[in-house]
Amino acid sequence: MELIKIEFGLFFWTVVVFLIFFFILKKYAWGPILQGIKTREETIKGRLDEAEKARDEMSKLQAKNEELLQKARKERDELLKQANKMKDQIITEARAKAGEEATKVLEKAKQEIEADKKAALAEIKVTSGALAVEIAEKILRKQFADRNQQQALADQLISELNNN
Amino acid sequence: MSLKRLLIVSILAIFCTQFAFASNPEEGGKEFNVGQHLMHHVLDSYDWELTEYKTGEDSAGNPIYGHLAIHLPRILYSSEHGLEFYSSTDAMRASGKYEVDSHGHAHIGHAGSESDHDHGPAVYDFSLTKTVVQMILISLLMLWIFGSMAKRYKKDPNRAPKGAQSLFEPIVIFVKDDIVAPNLKERTDGFLPYMLTLFFFIWFSNVFGLMPFNSNIMGNITVTTALALLTFILTNVNGTKDYWKHVFAMPGVPGWLWPLITVLEILGLFIKPFALTLRLFANIVGGHFMILSLVALIFILGQNGQLAWAGIAASPIAILFPAILMLLEFLVAGLQAYIFTLLTAVFIGMALESHDHEHAH
Repeated sequence: MELIKIEFGLFFWTVVVFLIFFFILKKYAWGPILQGIKTREETIKGRLDEAEKARDEMSKLQAKNEELLQKARKERDELLKQANKMKDQIITEARAKAGEEATKVLEKAKQEIEADKKAALAEIKVTSGALAVEIAEKILRKQFADRNQQQALADQLISELNNN
Repeated sequence: MSLKRLLIVSILAIFCTQFAFASNPEEGGKEFNVGQHLMHHVLDSYDWELTEYKTGEDSAGNPIYGHLAIHLPRILYSSEHGLEFYSSTDAMRASGKYEVDSHGHAHIGHAGSESDHDHGPAVYDFSLTKTVVQMILISLLMLWIFGSMAKRYKKDPNRAPKGAQSLFEPIVIFVKDDIVAPNLKERTDGFLPYMLTLFFFIWFSNVFGLMPFNSNIMGNITVTTALALLTFILTNVNGTKDYWKHVFAMPGVPGWLWPLITVLEILGLFIKPFALTLRLFANIVGGHFMILSLVALIFILGQNGQLAWAGIAASPIAILFPAILMLLEFLVAGLQAYIFTLLTAVFIGMALESHDHEHAH
């Protein structure tokens, strides 16, 4: 049976051709191809890991940001509160001070007015006294031109004094 | 650069042989012998026949056929003539040193008997037959495809695959992850180049064998035997202590049974590659026979042109069925490559295994 006969030459060539090309392919094809596939697999894995890491970091960062924001918000509220408080305080203080000042000014003005009034009154007294004396002198000079009248007044005055 | 030069030189070397329009008149007018034709188609030969053509008619009006063929070189070694090269079988025959039988085999001093039992002095025939040349061509094709693929990986492995790369990379990864890795585990990297060569060599051979003019490499038992022998050697060379212990002193089996078990185990060592040989050979040659037989239906029913209408009537079936079978054969081409590689990986994996003997076998 030719079909199932092992041919020596063909057997020899099969082994030779197969092994020669196996070694050539191993060196020039499979080596670089498998290395390339491995490299790519590793690269992809590395990139995925990196992405994962980046995502983690991102979420961590985001959480941190959120926290910071929260803190900032709180701080702002605090500040606002404080500012409000301060404002109120300042206003109150200012109002109080202004009131005080106003009172002081008023007081001073009153005092000045009082002093002026006193001075004016004193002057009026002095002036009116002088005027009265002058008028009285003039009246008296006229009335007491005659001696009798002078005597009568003098008597009257003496009696008044005595009555007192 | 050197790789490309190697390719070109090799191709030229193969085709240095003449491209001959030989006209060896056959006896015309004989009954169309289907069996003989099928055999001729499936078997290896010393020239690459492209087609037959009618060269004339003999006196009785029967056609005479000539062959259009590429003559392949003959390389022979015998103790009488030493190592000899001839450009073709014709040249060898013309030298007068060898007798040539109907298959083209060379013999010394043994008048062209058809017998397989050669009584003359041994002639070692290293001729580059059709199958050898086809194997070299396929290997060169693999070298070209995978060599150019490799260049892309060398340039930048991280680039997305392109062209042939995107076709073959998934297959390479399939061989790596689904055939070799599950069986060879941590030894995968070392055996992977061999397994890839084996897989693609068988697959390409099978696919090309389905195309016209090509030789059915894996439908040749010599080739499958050679490949199975390599598997056998790889398996046993890599056998661990455990592996041999399982052969010669099966653990968990009483000592008096060891001789029996050892006989079976040693038989098993040879049966495994033998099964590999036959499986691949039978699948491929069987497929070829099926397709060829169905096509031959035209000639059988047409009775070599004497009953032309029957031949014509048979032709739809004789064309449709082989077409369907061809699709099946394309599947088988890959499947057998897969099975051969897988089993090789399994056998080597078994030989590499070293395990504790607590569990039962």
